[in-house]
Amino acid sequence: MKRYGMTLMVVFGILALMGLLMPSPAPAARVVKIGVIYPLTGGAAAAGRELRAGAELAAEIANGVMADLPMTMAKNSGIKSLGGAKIKLIFKDHEGNPTLGADLAKKLILDDKVDGILGCYHSSVTKTVSAVCEQYGVPMINGTSTSPALTKRGFKWFWRTTPHDRWFTKDLFELLKGLTEGKVRGVKAVPKKDIINLASACEKTEWGSHVSRLIEGLAKEYGFKLRKSLLYAAKAADLSSEVRSLKAARPDVMLFASYTSDAILMVKTLKAQKANPKIIWGQDAGFEKPEFRNTLGGDIVGILTRTVFLPKVVEIKAIAGKVNALYKKKTGNDLGGASARAFTGLQTWVHVLEKAGSTKPADIQKAANSIKIPGKELVVPWAGIKFSTSGEELGQNVLGSGLIGQYQKGKDGKVGLEIVYPFDVSSADMIFPFPGY
Amino acid sequence: MDILVGSLAAGILIGMVLALVAIGLTIIFGVMDIVNFAHGEFLMIGMYTGLLTAQGMGIDPLFTLPFAAVVGFLLGVICYYGFVKFLLRGPMVAQLLGTFGLMLFLRNVALLVFGSEDRAVHSGILVGRSFEVGMGVVIPATKLAAAGLSVVAFVTVWMLMNRTKVGKALTATALNSQGARYMGIPTDRMNALAWGIGAASVTIAGALIVNFWSVNPFVGLLFTMIAFAIVALGGFGSVPGAFFAGLVVGIITEIPGIWDFFTYTFNLDWMSRVPMTSFKYMWVYLAYFVIMVVRPRGLFGWKY
Repeated sequence: MKRYGMTLMVVFGILALMGLLMPSPAPAARVVKIGVIYPLTGGAAAAGRELRAGAELAAEIANGVMADLPMTMAKNSGIKSLGGAKIKLIFKDHEGNPTLGADLAKKLILDDKVDGILGCYHSSVTKTVSAVCEQYGVPMINGTSTSPALTKRGFKWFWRTTPHDRWFTKDLFELLKGLTEGKVRGVKAVPKKDIINLASACEKTEWGSHVSRLIEGLAKEYGFKLRKSLLYAAKAADLSSEVRSLKAARPDVMLFASYTSDAILMVKTLKAQKANPKIIWGQDAGFEKPEFRNTLGGDIVGILTRTVFLPKVVEIKAIAGKVNALYKKKTGNDLGGASARAFTGLQTWVHVLEKAGSTKPADIQKAANSIKIPGKELVVPWAGIKFSTSGEELGQNVLGSGLIGQYQKGKDGKVGLEIVYPFDVSSADMIFPFPGY
Repeated sequence: MDILVGSLAAGILIGMVLALVAIGLTIIFGVMDIVNFAHGEFLMIGMYTGLLTAQGMGIDPLFTLPFAAVVGFLLGVICYYGFVKFLLRGPMVAQLLGTFGLMLFLRNVALLVFGSEDRAVHSGILVGRSFEVGMGVVIPATKLAAAGLSVVAFVTVWMLMNRTKVGKALTATALNSQGARYMGIPTDRMNALAWGIGAASVTIAGALIVNFWSVNPFVGLLFTMIAFAIVALGGFGSVPGAFFAGLVVGIITEIPGIWDFFTYTFNLDWMSRVPMTSFKYMWVYLAYFVIMVVRPRGLFGWKY
């Protein structure tokens, strides 16, 4: 018995030693580092918080297993093709400053040795950061910057998932076209002559003046008459002569690209001047902000705004509802345009890494250029994600699309946005013409 | 036609308010020969006074005028005794730079206290209301009230300057301060009074303007420029000149509307392409420039 005992002990001892010496059967999961550059402080800090939470949630889903979430990245723990490597996000704050953004990108690349970059919200910062990435040959995915110029620079290391301003403006003209063809839910076909006259007022920095030019070009393309097109300073304290000038053009449709305080002032002035066009449309930004709704209340019923994500999407798209529930648990808020797109940006990173099966920049580049993520994987209401690899635009997602929402009074008496475009996901009958204030 | 009438009406209404903005500048200059660069900042403080009293006390912004007047008067008097009085001992350039410094100081204090974001009045008896006077001409109620009250304030100041003993003493100080002192007029107090009245009239204008303009700490500069143009046009030191010039400048800011009238009356495509509204203040500065070159003492100027 004693000898058996000795033998057993020796065997155990050897086993124990082997256990210590032998590498664990699953190799220690390595980490994929993604540098995330967002405006976490400064004027856009509120958006920055949303963006950060969206990206963090996507990383949590990718790193864990959530069986009830019908998403590929929720099924595996980490990146399967990289041996279950986990995503590690390194956040940096660019404060809305393009120069700081470029410095941070250099730091992430040289000091933190990140495998890729995600960011940066402000188009101006994305511009400088992507230039740094291009210089160092580090892949960058952008989820939330909408200046069309970003993907027109022929960059080989830059991919953008969000649609840009040209698409959004085109959506509007598709909606107008749909109105004349009777495609809009709850509205009978409107003769084109009733909505042919347009007038636009855009704020005069890079974004607004660009939208203004887009409206001009698309109006011609779709056969509408742009009777007046003016630019104004977003800081202007008074817009009455602008509004009178718009009114003088007797437009059927008024189009705006405004930031927050000027959007509010514009609608107030329109009301004071009793301007009653048939359609009022805002290009996101100010027209979508909570302040806009809170300040103007019932006056905005009937106003349209383009957007990328609405709480209504959650009701139509089951997957968005599930992610929204997780997001709400994490932050207490519903998903918004910024958070949903940041989530999608990181999700795209996960898919690209999964496909690449490597963190070598060249492999990631190859994977990104050939990736196709179907729309059913996404929380945003797009057909999917597929980047253009040739032609005028490089790295732009060609399957994205925007939404047009209309402020309507809900059953609870609160004013909220209902989807009126795309027509197949509309959540309510469109109010046409604009009912007045 | 409605475009033309609407623009002219809007121009005259805003012109009346601008006249009240300019009168303070012209009084201070008339009495003391000091150009007050901080004038627009006084207006900004008037706007914040109107806005914050209205929001804090829950009253309509139109009823905050007495508060604005008191705040303005005190501000003017404090600025005089605490600061301007000492500048008078220095050369002319010290006075210029001094009020310029006052402008920067007030603006940055406002930035510190109120923050940089735009604020606006969103509720009130008249806010958002307007009258349709026929032919499609729409006149916002806030502007009509502001113009009317401006005229009342303007007439009050004019009466004070021309029909009272204090006004005579002020005028005497303005004409010959040394002589006035020999006649027993306390010129120092008269100077303080000029600053008080000047500042009070512009803060009242501010409290009226905040009914339809949003306010931020930088709003003053635009009004300083416009006030300078009005005072130059009307003549430095002239009260009726300020009123007349205010109306003219008000109509000048409506040149884009008049342009629109011709555009759509004659249906000229090239005219609709000119971004006139972007240049609406350019015409004011152009008028300022022309007046300075052609008639530096202004239309009603009596000094120099």
